[in-house]
Amino acid sequence: MSGHGDPPPLWQYQFGRGEQEWEEQDWKKSFWCLTCKVVPNCPGNDYYSHCMANLPIIAVAGLLGSGKTHWISQQIVAASQSVLYCCPGSGNVPIDAHWIAAHFPQVKVVDEGQEMQHLIDLDPGTIAYVELGFHLDLATEFLAVLPCHKVAVLPPGYEDNELRNWADEVSESKLTPTQNSLDSQQLIRSPLEGEVIDPASLNIFWDELTQGAYGDVQRAKGIFDLVDGRSFHFDFVAQMTESKFTELPLPRWLDGRPQRFSGIEVGGNRLDSAAIAQTLQDCCLAEEMIAYYQEQIKAQPEEIPV
Amino acid sequence: MTIWAMLSGIEGNLAAYEAVLADLKRQRTEIDELYILGDLVGATSESEDLVQRVRSPRRGEIEPQVCAGWWEEQCFILHGVSTQSEAPELIAKYGADTVKLLWDAVPHETVKWLRSLNFGFFELDSLLIHGSTVGVDDELTPKTSPVQMLDRLMRSDANNLFCGRSGLTFEYELHQGSVTVAVTTLDRQQEPIVNTVSPRRVIGVGNVGRSPGKATYTLYDPGINHVEFKTIRYGGTGFKVAQMARSAQGEHKPKNSRV
Amino acid sequence: MKMAVMSCIHGNYEALDSVLLDINQHHAEKIICLGDLVGYGPHPNAVVEMIRSLDIPTVQGCWDEDIVEGLNSCECSYPSMLAEKRGKAAHEWTNQNIQPETRSFLAELPLSLREDNLCFVHGSPHSQHEYLLPDVNAFLALERVLSTGADVLFCGHTHVPYVRSLNAGELRATVKQPGVEQESLSFAAPLKRIINVGSVGEPRHGRPNATYVLYDTETEEVTLREVQYDYQKTCAAIVEKGLPSIFAWRLAQGLEYAEKADDPTHVCER
Repeated sequence: MSGHGDPPPLWQYQFGRGEQEWEEQDWKKSFWCLTCKVVPNCPGNDYYSHCMANLPIIAVAGLLGSGKTHWISQQIVAASQSVLYCCPGSGNVPIDAHWIAAHFPQVKVVDEGQEMQHLIDLDPGTIAYVELGFHLDLATEFLAVLPCHKVAVLPPGYEDNELRNWADEVSESKLTPTQNSLDSQQLIRSPLEGEVIDPASLNIFWDELTQGAYGDVQRAKGIFDLVDGRSFHFDFVAQMTESKFTELPLPRWLDGRPQRFSGIEVGGNRLDSAAIAQTLQDCCLAEEMIAYYQEQIKAQPEEIPV
Repeated sequence: MTIWAMLSGIEGNLAAYEAVLADLKRQRTEIDELYILGDLVGATSESEDLVQRVRSPRRGEIEPQVCAGWWEEQCFILHGVSTQSEAPELIAKYGADTVKLLWDAVPHETVKWLRSLNFGFFELDSLLIHGSTVGVDDELTPKTSPVQMLDRLMRSDANNLFCGRSGLTFEYELHQGSVTVAVTTLDRQQEPIVNTVSPRRVIGVGNVGRSPGKATYTLYDPGINHVEFKTIRYGGTGFKVAQMARSAQGEHKPKNSRV
Repeated sequence: MKMAVMSCIHGNYEALDSVLLDINQHHAEKIICLGDLVGYGPHPNAVVEMIRSLDIPTVQGCWDEDIVEGLNSCECSYPSMLAEKRGKAAHEWTNQNIQPETRSFLAELPLSLREDNLCFVHGSPHSQHEYLLPDVNAFLALERVLSTGADVLFCGHTHVPYVRSLNAGELRATVKQPGVEQESLSFAAPLKRIINVGSVGEPRHGRPNATYVLYDTETEEVTLREVQYDYQKTCAAIVEKGLPSIFAWRLAQGLEYAEKADDPTHVCER
């Protein structure tokens, strides 16, 4: 075995197998480069250095709203191989994961808690993007043991040493952080699966939210199911002049309460979570209204595409 | 060619309605749509028969599209299904006895059906309604001021407003108009701008049942925006004589003569 | 004579107090109020008491009517479900908090006032709920003024002040009737004006300041007045009295609490 700054053996992450069950070839395999499956000669301290440039796991970190998901989506568009995506730490409101899944159905999106298993058993030729939320520790455990290429998405001239020291590569973000965004302490999340939202009410709520009615909001994003059956992605970063609203490429849901993901995530300071929750609830349609409007919409003639 | 027939003010006069239907069948061009712009019922015992006749057209007859009118609104008031609680206009115009006559003439089940009728129709660029969007009692006549007529057209952004409250047949055409407007707000002062209005019309479609023996209604061709007023006489010898006169002149033979 | 015309106080006593002070400083000899004394704001009784004590001629606004009749204002006024819920919450709160004498006073208010060639209404001559927006069709606006027989129509309800002059109005028409000779009609109107006096207590022009109008009956000069006041006091009272706290934030931004002025030509089913 190599002695150069030994990473913990991979067998520790092979669920259901203890140290005693491994044979010699397994030990050798456990130190194979995940890309070429050849026991490496180590010229230096980097254990998998000869394949570093072609590591299949790309960890992406950055500031609140710096554009990590956007950067990843650009890579997916350019990718010629299979792609896997995960976003550890997104909890029960995996907005970015669902955005990726809606726009790139060919990408394998991994649920929270299953990242390690999929990353270890990555198919040859597959590239994996691991998006790390701003609140996550950069020394998160599986990144410490899995070889990965680390990318930090940062604004130009941003001097944070921790991120720059951590990263193998820095990609320039278009946004300049404010002090408030750097100091953001709170993160509020709420799943909204099954709720149908009145669009006009949502517009009022979103304007209030992003203009400070419920606290100092630095970042807000959400996926909402509207009364006409469409699913919309809302995106706000404090440094942007306007929020972005995009319809997700999903079929309209016009049969009762939607059985697909929707939810909201808000990051900032001094957030009034009770008021946010109450106002959101006031934007949701009651059961009978959902049925009424869905019938109306279904009765309308279909639009003929131009 | 599409032709719309518009009737109003039947007021429970079954004979008049039958006469108009017969006249519609005699038209050279087939009628595509039949609109009844309110006042289907009246304080007459025939009202219920008329409602059933309208609701159940015979084979080959067009199904009428009906909107509510002034008499229907009086029924709603009497039966407690209106926003108003009293019917002062009804009493003022027709006397207190009419209240009982109307109550007896139109049963509650029929009032429920009348309550389900549209307030009006917006077809192409035309509003078809009993009074106007202001209300069923808004009576537009040839004496109404041009500005008020224009207001009624503008409220629904219609080029044509077909109405029946007055019971008259008329074509009130607004050709051109202008007004110079300037607005000042807290933050700015706008320079004066001349606003103009495009030509539009209000058409009174006549009434079918108010005058015994005489019915008026309107035909409209939306393709060429042409309005034609029709007057027919019916009932007893009057109707027969008119038909024989037309036959003698060789205009056309009635297909399904009821005489 | 210089007169001050104000409207839509909506229970905002702080704003009213500041406006009255400003009116005093401008030596207005008469004050007229265009209604909506109550609704949304935290001091409906104090506002009405002030108006009564000063004997200010007042017309009944849509909110005043709703509190008296126990109805909610036209649903068409609310741009969304959320706004409607907030409006109803405000109505409930006001209904529970006003004194009997306040309700009686509001019930007695006339729908319009007239002084020489000036007419005063809350929304429009046709309805307390009709919004006369500055960009409503010019002929529609002209009809509203003409229907009163006045030269100047003062109104409120929209909460954004403006002066709109309608000059050299003319219209030509012909009337055809079967069996009657065709008739040609022409119409001409001299200068008419609509003066919207904005809102004292719930401004919607993007700033929290109160607005009202000064009008000189001799020179016919109009001045749109914007008055700063300590709106934070009103915001604090909104929260303290249990009104939806979002009202406090919206007041500070100069935004409507719930209702939004909309196209007056919609068909209201109420």
